[in-house]
Amino acid sequence: MMSSSVVGEFSAWLTDFLPDDYYDRYRDYRWDLGLRRGYQRAAFEAGWLQPTWPREHGGRSLGLRDAMEIRLEGAMRSAPKLPNIAGPNVAAPGIRQFGTAEQIDRLLVPLLRGDEWWALGMSEPEAGSDFAGLRTRAVRDGDLFRVKGRKIWTTQAHLSRWCTLYARTDPDAPKHRGISCLILDLESPGVTIEPIRMASISDETFCEVILDDVEVPVANLLGPCNGGWQVAMSSLNHERQMIWIMNWVEIQRGLDSVRGSETVHDDYASGEVFTELGSLLADAEALRATGYRALYNELADRPSPEADILKLLGSVTLQRVWELSAAASGPGSIDDADLLFERQDALAATIYGGTSEVQRNIIAERLLGLPKG
Amino acid sequence: MDVGLNSGQLALRDSVRDVLRTECRPGVARQAMTDPEHWRTVWKTVVNLGWTELAAPANGADDSFGRIDLAVVLEECGAAIAPIPLLSSIGLAAGVLRVAGPAVADVLADVGGGVVAALAAHPPGCRLPGVPMTLQRGRLHGRAVAVTGLPRAELIVTLASSADGPVAAVVRVGDGVAVKAVECTDPAQPVADVEIDTEPVVTAPVDVESALATPLIAVAADLVGVADAALARSVEHAKSRHQFGKPIGAFQGIKHALADNYVALERARSLTYAAAARLDDPATPSSVGWTAAALAKAAASEAAVGCARTAVQVHGALAQTWEHDMHLYLRHAWQGASTLGDSRALYYAIGRRFAGGAG
Repeated sequence: MMSSSVVGEFSAWLTDFLPDDYYDRYRDYRWDLGLRRGYQRAAFEAGWLQPTWPREHGGRSLGLRDAMEIRLEGAMRSAPKLPNIAGPNVAAPGIRQFGTAEQIDRLLVPLLRGDEWWALGMSEPEAGSDFAGLRTRAVRDGDLFRVKGRKIWTTQAHLSRWCTLYARTDPDAPKHRGISCLILDLESPGVTIEPIRMASISDETFCEVILDDVEVPVANLLGPCNGGWQVAMSSLNHERQMIWIMNWVEIQRGLDSVRGSETVHDDYASGEVFTELGSLLADAEALRATGYRALYNELADRPSPEADILKLLGSVTLQRVWELSAAASGPGSIDDADLLFERQDALAATIYGGTSEVQRNIIAERLLGLPKG
Repeated sequence: MDVGLNSGQLALRDSVRDVLRTECRPGVARQAMTDPEHWRTVWKTVVNLGWTELAAPANGADDSFGRIDLAVVLEECGAAIAPIPLLSSIGLAAGVLRVAGPAVADVLADVGGGVVAALAAHPPGCRLPGVPMTLQRGRLHGRAVAVTGLPRAELIVTLASSADGPVAAVVRVGDGVAVKAVECTDPAQPVADVEIDTEPVVTAPVDVESALATPLIAVAADLVGVADAALARSVEHAKSRHQFGKPIGAFQGIKHALADNYVALERARSLTYAAAARLDDPATPSSVGWTAAALAKAAASEAAVGCARTAVQVHGALAQTWEHDMHLYLRHAWQGASTLGDSRALYYAIGRRFAGGAG
């Protein structure tokens, strides 16, 4: 079969890339930024970074099915995590779809190779879930925009060169139609970046980005003026379609940790653990099967509404599985730093990319057709 | 492996749905609760349309009916809460027979032609289905409870232990078969207990997990249908019922409950289609097939009961009345949820296997 041979090729390439002791020392390697940077560059050069894209953009022009199998294979084998996910998985699809020839030419390859990192300038102190309510202003001044405002929870801004900055360009339009996406050089005068200390160990540090009369050339507009809402939605959609794979693999890891815990067979309370374990196995399998169902429908050119449950189900399941892991190891969970990280890290899953509450509103309004509140 | 329906299966779904929309409104289930012969009219239509032929894979390789086709039809019948023994005959009884080899081919053909059969797979006092009978010196003996469809059935399929290992056995309802109808949760789908002491029509060796896998998927499909229909009724009501000056569906309390119903429904549907596809693949080991089927059944029970209970809540006092349809869905969901293993028992069994506990 065509697909299995391409997955096989990827798998062999991955084996070659990984150090021999990768799995024995995964606990250390998962934080090894050098290895992860190297992985991104090598994946770009070999065409595995975005398999559906053409060769010059880190792909092999493969179909969606092969691309999904490659992502799954990489995730199941715990391939190194990209150090700056926002770049290749959110900013890059937006640049490819909406960028001018000059923008694509200047920005895309350094982004995909990982030489230049990207931040997403979306959330503001007063605009979180209500992204369209953002207040940062960009006022046209000749061939410049003058930008004033504040962004927050901007992941890795302090390490990034660029930012897809969403700002209000038409204060009189309805709120979704007055936003534009600007490509902001974070080295520009007037940009102040303050990292925010995180509650857990993390290499995805939040920052506050203060914009005080920052000049952005009009040539840096990504997509149409006042068309920023569409740019944001399409860029995020790319990641949203694939996020279940990351969740699914992390859930598998959590399930294995439950199975491996010393106290799982404690007669007094194992029954309760087994029942929850069975329920989580159903969630994990449902996630995989729904991902395949959505792909099958998409390839047949049919609507795939079931895809809208993936984010909600995946993120909630991920949290439950690490809670069960903690329960199954009893007091052993208290001095387990890895478990603490997993539990804290999983908490973000129901928040980023649209909170669970927003996901439920989307399902209720767009899929079930219930009226807006 | 693809998961989902191809265009032929979608067409099958739509045609079954269209027939049921006219021939089997939810009110038919209500009438069937008080009139024990009422089901025969719909059953006749269903048999004439050839739906019972899904009991067995057809001989032609190209158009053979797989378990996904079976699931599609049972899902629509569940959505229509059709008070007919289609699940019991072609899903449960024939689900065991389809893995019992050529010895049972004649029986399978009878079921395909519309003879009503039921599956006795609940040993008394057990939450999970199993092997309720024994076969000794050619005689089948034992007791089973909660046999769905038995009051309407001519044939009983059951599982028995024998000196040569487990077998599927078929008996004809009659001498040596004591059927004790019970007052059940869903009288539109009557249930009976049975005590058997007779010579079977036929027996054939089976692997118990393989034998139970298709029946589990069949109940799952039926319950996915119930969940879908109950949720659709909730949505319809939430859009039209106004309180505090707006449709109640505009309040997040309702919205989020129905969104969670939707997640439960699609979770169960994905698991059901995925399990059906796995079982249609002859390379699937029986334990893997059983686990996939059991996950689907557990999830579908949760979805059906969850959607029906939420629907009662959304409809308020209206749903507490006999004339409103909602109790019909809820009764069907509750009864199906306890058939062939309740969710918690199935999850426990699956979780324990996964953790490597003693069988």
